[in-house]
Amino acid sequence: MTSEEIQAIFFVECEESLVAAEAGLAACKDGTQDADTVNAIFRAVHSIKGGAGAFGYTALQAYTHTFETLLSDVRDGILAVSEPLVDVLLRALDTLTDHVASARDNSTPPEDAGLIAEMTAAQTGDGAASAAEPVAEVATAPAQPETAAASSDLDFDLDSMLDSIVGDFDAAEPAAPAPSPSWKVHIRPHAGAMGNGGEPLLLLREVEALGGECVACETSSVPLLDELNPQQGYLGWTFLMPGSVDQAAVQDIYDFVGDDCDLAFGADATIPAVRLSVAAPPAPVAVAQLAAAASVSLTPVRPTAAAPANDEAAKPAAGQPQVQSIRIDLPKLDRLIDSVGELVIAQAMMAQRLASEGIAASEELALLDGLTRDIQESAMSIRAQPIGSVFSRVPRILRELASSTGKQVKLELIGEATELDKTVIERLGEPLTHLIRNAVDHGIETVQERLAAGKPAEGTLVLAAEHRSGRILIRITDDGRGIDRERVFAKAVEKGLVAADAQMSKEDIDALIFAPGFSTAASITSVSGRGVGMDVVRQNVKELGGRITIESEHGKGTSFTLTLPLTLAISDGMIVNVGDQTLIVPLTHVVESLRPKPGDIQGLGTNQQLLNVRGKFIPVLPVYQAIGAARSLANAEAGVLIVVDTEVAGQAALLVDDICDQRQFVIKSLDTHYRAVEGIAGATILGDGQVALILDVDGLVAGALAHPDRKAA
Amino acid sequence: MNKTTRILTVDDSASMRALLLHALTSSGFEVAQADDGVAALEWLALNEVDVVITDINMPRLDGFGLIERLRAGDRHQDRPILVLTTESSDEKKQRARNAGATGWIVKPFDPEKLATAVRRVTH
Repeated sequence: MTSEEIQAIFFVECEESLVAAEAGLAACKDGTQDADTVNAIFRAVHSIKGGAGAFGYTALQAYTHTFETLLSDVRDGILAVSEPLVDVLLRALDTLTDHVASARDNSTPPEDAGLIAEMTAAQTGDGAASAAEPVAEVATAPAQPETAAASSDLDFDLDSMLDSIVGDFDAAEPAAPAPSPSWKVHIRPHAGAMGNGGEPLLLLREVEALGGECVACETSSVPLLDELNPQQGYLGWTFLMPGSVDQAAVQDIYDFVGDDCDLAFGADATIPAVRLSVAAPPAPVAVAQLAAAASVSLTPVRPTAAAPANDEAAKPAAGQPQVQSIRIDLPKLDRLIDSVGELVIAQAMMAQRLASEGIAASEELALLDGLTRDIQESAMSIRAQPIGSVFSRVPRILRELASSTGKQVKLELIGEATELDKTVIERLGEPLTHLIRNAVDHGIETVQERLAAGKPAEGTLVLAAEHRSGRILIRITDDGRGIDRERVFAKAVEKGLVAADAQMSKEDIDALIFAPGFSTAASITSVSGRGVGMDVVRQNVKELGGRITIESEHGKGTSFTLTLPLTLAISDGMIVNVGDQTLIVPLTHVVESLRPKPGDIQGLGTNQQLLNVRGKFIPVLPVYQAIGAARSLANAEAGVLIVVDTEVAGQAALLVDDICDQRQFVIKSLDTHYRAVEGIAGATILGDGQVALILDVDGLVAGALAHPDRKAA
Repeated sequence: MNKTTRILTVDDSASMRALLLHALTSSGFEVAQADDGVAALEWLALNEVDVVITDINMPRLDGFGLIERLRAGDRHQDRPILVLTTESSDEKKQRARNAGATGWIVKPFDPEKLATAVRRVTH
């Protein structure tokens, strides 16, 4: 495993920690302030700090150090959880998120002096008023505190000792420097040095390895053999150390054993006195020592009364099925998904071949069919992740919006556990962010407006995700002012997007906000950007094979619904025949299919036909014309109409000869194998090995309706 | 010829586990890993090790709890246990020692120093 790979794990872990901290702080804000919650937040930040140190991200480490110190006081109950404190912690978390991002991208760390000052102030319990002084103190030396802290950490570490070993060897071998006078150290390990898996002999050897020479062993305290307790320390040693070795190096070795070994430095010093444990003759020394220490706060060591309780505390946890995970490189997973896609096709091909040989009803084929489906579902589920990972970023966006717009928004999340494909999740973040910013900036009114309209001062934003018939629906609903259609229309006319006398339905006007270059904000705000947002949103969603629809009621609010595929790799489609072509209509667009009755289709002008669907007229688009296939139908009534939903042009009815099947297909890009073709989204291989083109319904309908005369050609 | 020193590392952070695994195996140790104290206890119930290296802050059962329980049991009572921690206050060290830790390593660690710390309690 390379260090890059380990770092990649670290950043994944950071994301997890940030999400955990965010969840914990959200719980704190809602009043859940128990030890577990606070501990989880602490652990999250602590874990980032640990990794940051290990990988040398000093800015991140310095920042997390301050953050962690504050959290540690909260955890230890020194600081009470209060609303202002949670607020500081939340903002500190936002900056931490930026710090992590900057460490990952190797970019300039975010400005954090202000927050560090606030955290320091919060820790000392100072109000905002007296925060000024710590500000100066911290801000002048933002990077210093941690360096200082780190080096003081190291004082007690093995590190400096080892440095001196290395230094010693380095110095001694190549060119002996002017020898400093050698010095003496007396070492007296007591009984405790042998407890807890410690072994004084190893430490003595280490002193020897430093270059020490044992010059005396103090044996006067050794009792007669029948009085000797092997668990006691009776011996003392005196070592002569070379002058090149630092006294601290020896101290560091014995830092390990603490008070259980006395050291005395210098030739004049006398060897520390032997210290025999009085009350603990043959009893195991470690236990006696521990029992004494346990009186502070620890549970008794021997499995006495408290131990079973301990057992029980740990058992339910141990009994729980452990969530075990394994990290896999995404490309490997994608290869698997690709192969599974091919397997699905191969299976279908074989089924078709067997059917043509008249042996399709074999049991083995049914078994293979079932297995293939299982494998496909399992493979898909590997890539599936809960949408909560995207939703978890939303609180931060709302906080930032609250501070920049002054609008308070309450967030409600529904269906966070809904799972969908990782790629979809990753690419969902941006459009979702845009929609949320848009909802707060344009949708939700200011507090005064809301109160005047008889609404609660705090706006509500609902994010809901659910599975519905093989698709995922994500709904972003605000309780704001709704779309002001008059203004939208006026704006669109002003921008030259529509004619001033155009007759447009409510839906059509709503859809205008997705037009490129459209923006209704009277002033361009930094929040919603420059009117490219909604256009980009629709484009992003479309690239994911999804659609976006709007429902809005003036004064009540707006709801955007994103309909997305569960996966990008395999789609459902309707296989249709048009002339001599076999085509696939992606099921995502299909609303219904019908065989028109006489009178359902009415002419409009010379070359336009409209279908009457329960009183609503939608344009009929003969697919053979659009793709240039041979005309096979005498008239529209002889074919089948597939009503499709499109982004740009509303509904349309595709006229095809007949529908032969509905099945899953793996999209193969035409661009990579041939070239981009207008109206065609890609190609796939059918069960019989034939290549079928997949219709780009949006492009096809938009193109045909934009140039109706082309159809006549 | 000594047999290979077998180490159990206990840390809830995947990147820290990866670092430890890399550092310790490069130094020629045999390494097993556990996600937290509970997982470590489960593993130790069935396996033998020469050294345990444990983090302090972990979910379910933290490092102090793990050490206490190992010292309270019979099988690993005398096993060297090193505490790997970012917290280096004397108070924390005292607490670790009281719990029964043999020694500690402060994060961030250098692979060679880590190996030396392990050798300090084995061989």
